[in-house]
Amino acid sequence: MNEALLEQVINGLMMGSIYVLVALGMVLIYGVMHVVNFAHGVLFTMGGYLGHFFYHRLVDSYVLAILLSMLTLGLIGVLLERGVFRPLAGNLRNQVIASLGLILFLENGVVALWGPNALQWKVATTERFVEIGELRFSQHHLGIILITLVLVAALGLYLKYTRFGTAIRATSQSQEAAIVVGIPVRRVQWTTFAIGAMLAGIGGALVGPLFLVFPQMGDVPLIKGLAGILLGGMGSVPGAVIGGLLLGVTESVSTLYLPTDYRDSIAFMVMVLILLVRPQGLFGQRMRGED
Amino acid sequence: MAVRRFLGWLLALSVTAALLSAPVWAAEHPYVLHMMVLICIYAIPAVGLNLMLGYSGLVSLGHMGFAGLGAYTAAVLMVDARWSFWSALAAGTVSAGLAGVLIGLICFRFRGHFFMIVTLAFGLLLHAIMNNWDAVTRGAAGFAGIPRPKPIAWGDTVIAFGQLPNFYYLALALTALVFALQYLVVRSNLGRILGAIRQDERLARSRGVNVLMYKTVVFSLGTALAGLGGVLHVSFLRVAAPASFTMLESINTVLIVIIGGAGFLVGPVLGAVVFVALPEGLRLANEWRLVIFGALLVLITLFAPSGLAGLLGRLWARLGAGSKEPGP
Amino acid sequence: MSALQLKGVRKAYGGIVALDGAEFTIAGPGIYGLIGPNGAGKTTLFDAIAGTVTPDAGQVLMGGRDVTGWASHRMAAAGISRTFQECRVLLEETCLDNVLFAAQPKGLGATLSQVFTRSNRHRLQLHDEALRLLSLVRLEAYAHAPASVLSFGQRRLLEIVSTFISSPDVFLLDEPASGVNPSLLEVLMDFIQTMYAERPRVFLVVEHNMEFIMSLAQDIIVMHQGRVLERGTPAQVQASPQVLEAYLG
Repeated sequence: MNEALLEQVINGLMMGSIYVLVALGMVLIYGVMHVVNFAHGVLFTMGGYLGHFFYHRLVDSYVLAILLSMLTLGLIGVLLERGVFRPLAGNLRNQVIASLGLILFLENGVVALWGPNALQWKVATTERFVEIGELRFSQHHLGIILITLVLVAALGLYLKYTRFGTAIRATSQSQEAAIVVGIPVRRVQWTTFAIGAMLAGIGGALVGPLFLVFPQMGDVPLIKGLAGILLGGMGSVPGAVIGGLLLGVTESVSTLYLPTDYRDSIAFMVMVLILLVRPQGLFGQRMRGED
Repeated sequence: MAVRRFLGWLLALSVTAALLSAPVWAAEHPYVLHMMVLICIYAIPAVGLNLMLGYSGLVSLGHMGFAGLGAYTAAVLMVDARWSFWSALAAGTVSAGLAGVLIGLICFRFRGHFFMIVTLAFGLLLHAIMNNWDAVTRGAAGFAGIPRPKPIAWGDTVIAFGQLPNFYYLALALTALVFALQYLVVRSNLGRILGAIRQDERLARSRGVNVLMYKTVVFSLGTALAGLGGVLHVSFLRVAAPASFTMLESINTVLIVIIGGAGFLVGPVLGAVVFVALPEGLRLANEWRLVIFGALLVLITLFAPSGLAGLLGRLWARLGAGSKEPGP
Repeated sequence: MSALQLKGVRKAYGGIVALDGAEFTIAGPGIYGLIGPNGAGKTTLFDAIAGTVTPDAGQVLMGGRDVTGWASHRMAAAGISRTFQECRVLLEETCLDNVLFAAQPKGLGATLSQVFTRSNRHRLQLHDEALRLLSLVRLEAYAHAPASVLSFGQRRLLEIVSTFISSPDVFLLDEPASGVNPSLLEVLMDFIQTMYAERPRVFLVVEHNMEFIMSLAQDIIVMHQGRVLERGTPAQVQASPQVLEAYLG
C-alpha cells in the first residue's frame, strides 16, 4: 500500500510539474497585465504540435526540438500581447472574449493543419527506465519533474536578482508606481507574456511524447492551471508552484480511493471550494475588489 | 425619413413571410430547413446569454452546461418516465432555471475574473456529471432514443413532428416566443435596472436596486432559456451527447452573441445565422469554419465590438442621414 | 427622535482606522456641512450611513430607527440618497432617464409584472417634475441626450438632481462643488437652496470648498482623525483655533 502511494505521489509530482508550467505562465501574466489568459491552454497545445513538427521535420534531437518550439512560442506570445491584448487593455471583458476567440482560432487551426487525430511522438526517454526501490519510472517522467524544478529555480533567481526580473516584480505590484519610477512597463508586459507562452510551450513539448499530441491537449491543463493559481493564490508566484504540485499530487493519490473518472472533477471542486472558503488562496494577497 | 420607415416595414414583412413559407420555397432543399432549425436551436440559448452578457454585463463561460442540464432532464423524463414532450420541455426549462438560481447565488459573490472562472468551473462540473453519471445520463456514449413530440390531431389534420417542416414550425414558434420575451424584458423597467447594473453597479445599489437579487433573476432567466434550447436540440437530433455541452460549446455561444452583437435585440439571431449558415454559403471546409470564426471573434472584439448588429445599425442610421442617433 | 444620529461609529480597513468613534446628532431638517482635512473619514462616514460599508462598532439611527449595517439598496428605500465623490451617472442613459431612474419602483414583484403590463405610471407622473428639475440646473436642453455628452460639472449637477426625484429624507452630497467651474457653482448653490426651501429635509454636505460650504450651510460639523472635532455655525467654526490646528497641524 505504501508503494502504491509513493508511485502515485511521484506520478502526481510529474503531472503537477506540468500544471506548474502552465500556472506559472498564467500567474506572471496576471500579475503584470491583470488579465487571466484563457488562451494559455492552446499555447500549451501549440508547444506540443510545434515540438512534434520540429522533431520530425527539422532536427533529430528532442532537446533542440523543445528549444525551437519554446522560441517560436515566445515569438507568438509577443505577437499576441502586442496585437490583441495591448489594444484591449483596460477592458477586461473584451480581453477575455478575445482570448476565447484565440482558443477557437488556434485549436481549430491545429485541426485544420494536422487533422483531428492524435499524433504519435516517440522519444528515447520514454523507453528508458529508472528504478526507485521496487518502482519503475521512465526517464521522461522524472525528467519532467527535474526540468520543471530547474525552470522554476531559474525563474525565481531571474525575478529576484536581475534588473529586468525586478522590473517584472515591481510592475505586478503596482503598474502606476512602476511607470513613475521609469520602468518600461510595455516591454515588461510583452516580455512576461512571451515568458509565459514559452513555459506553456515547454509543457506541451514535454507532455507530447507521453500522452500523444492532439488538438484538445491543452484544454485540461488550462483548467488545472487555473485551479492551481486559485489554490496557490492569484498573483503569487510561489503559490502557483505549490498550488500546481499540490493539485497534481492530490489528483493522483485520489485515484487510489476514487474511480478515475472523477479525477479531473477534483480540479473543478477545488476551484469552487477555494473561491468560497478562502478566495485569496494559500498565499495570495487580499482579493482586489474588481468593481 | 418615410423611405426608411417603409424599407424597415418591407424588410420585416419579407423576412416574416419567408420564414413562414420556408417549407414551400425550400421544398427541393430539405437541408435548408434543417439548417434553419439549427439556427433556432443555437439562437435560443444565445438570447439567454445576451440577456446576461449583453444587457447585464455578466460574462458566463459555462452557459451550455445549463443547456445540457435542461436537455438531460427532459431526456430522462421522456424516455425513463414516459413524460410528454411538452411537460418535459417545461421541466427542462425550469430545472435549468433553478440551477441558475443556486449556482448564480454562488457565482455572484465574485466579480470580474473570478466570476468568469467560477461560471467556467460550474459549466465543466455539469459536463462532467453528464459524462460520468452513466446510470442516469448514459455517459459519454450518449443518450439515444429521445422522441419528437407526439403527433397532434387538429380536426382532420394530424401534425406529426417527425416530419421536418412541422418540427421547423415548432422551433420557429419557440424562437419567436423567446424573442418576444427578450423584447419585453429589455424594453421594460427590468431592462432599465439590468442596464444600470451593467453600467454602474455601485450607483444602481445606491438608487435602491437590490443588485444580487436582479443578477439572480437575469442569470436564472438566461439559464432557463439555455435549458429550453437544450431540450429542443436533443429532441430534434433524437439523441443527447455530452459533447454538445462542453466548454468549447459554451465558447461558441459567446461567439454567437458577440459576433451577432451583444446588447442588441437581433444580436443572437444574427449571430446564430452567421454561425450556422455562413460556412454553408461559402462552401467552407468543416475544419476551417471554426478557425475563421475564432479569427472573426478576435477581429470583431478589436475593431467592431458591437458586432454585426452594431455595424448594421450604423449603416441604417446613415441611410436616414440627418437624424441624430445616440448609439450605444 | 432625531432625523439622523451616529453613536460611536468605528470602522477600520486593515490597519487604518477611518472612523474612530464618530458621533453626532442631527435633530431635524437643515443644511449641514461636513468638513475636515483629508483622511478625516468624511467619505467613510457617508459610506457607513448610506450602507456601502458596515461599521465595526457603533450605531446609525434614522428617525429613531436603527439602520446600522443595512445594505445600500435598503437605505435608499428607507429615504437616504447620496452622491459620490467621483461623480456617478448612467452615461449611456439620457439625462431624463437618469433623473427618473431613482424614482422607478425597484421591488421585484412590481418590476416583473411591469414586463407584461407595460404600464408606465411612474414615468408619466414624474415626467414633468423631472424636466423641471433639469431646468433648475440648466440641463433641460440635454433631456434626451445621453449623459456622456455632458461636461464633468454638468454631470455633477445631473447626479445631484437625480437624487431629488425620489423625495428622500436625507441627502448625502459628497463634494458636490469639486470639479464644477465657478459659473455653475452659483447654479448649484441656488438649486440646493431652492430645493431646501420647497421641502425642508436633511442635507449633509461634505465639502472642501470653504467659501461654498460656509455660505450654504447653517451648521458645520468638523471631523478630524475619524471623529467629530467640533460643531457650530460657520462663524464659530472658522474662528476656532482647534479647527485651524487640525487643518494646519
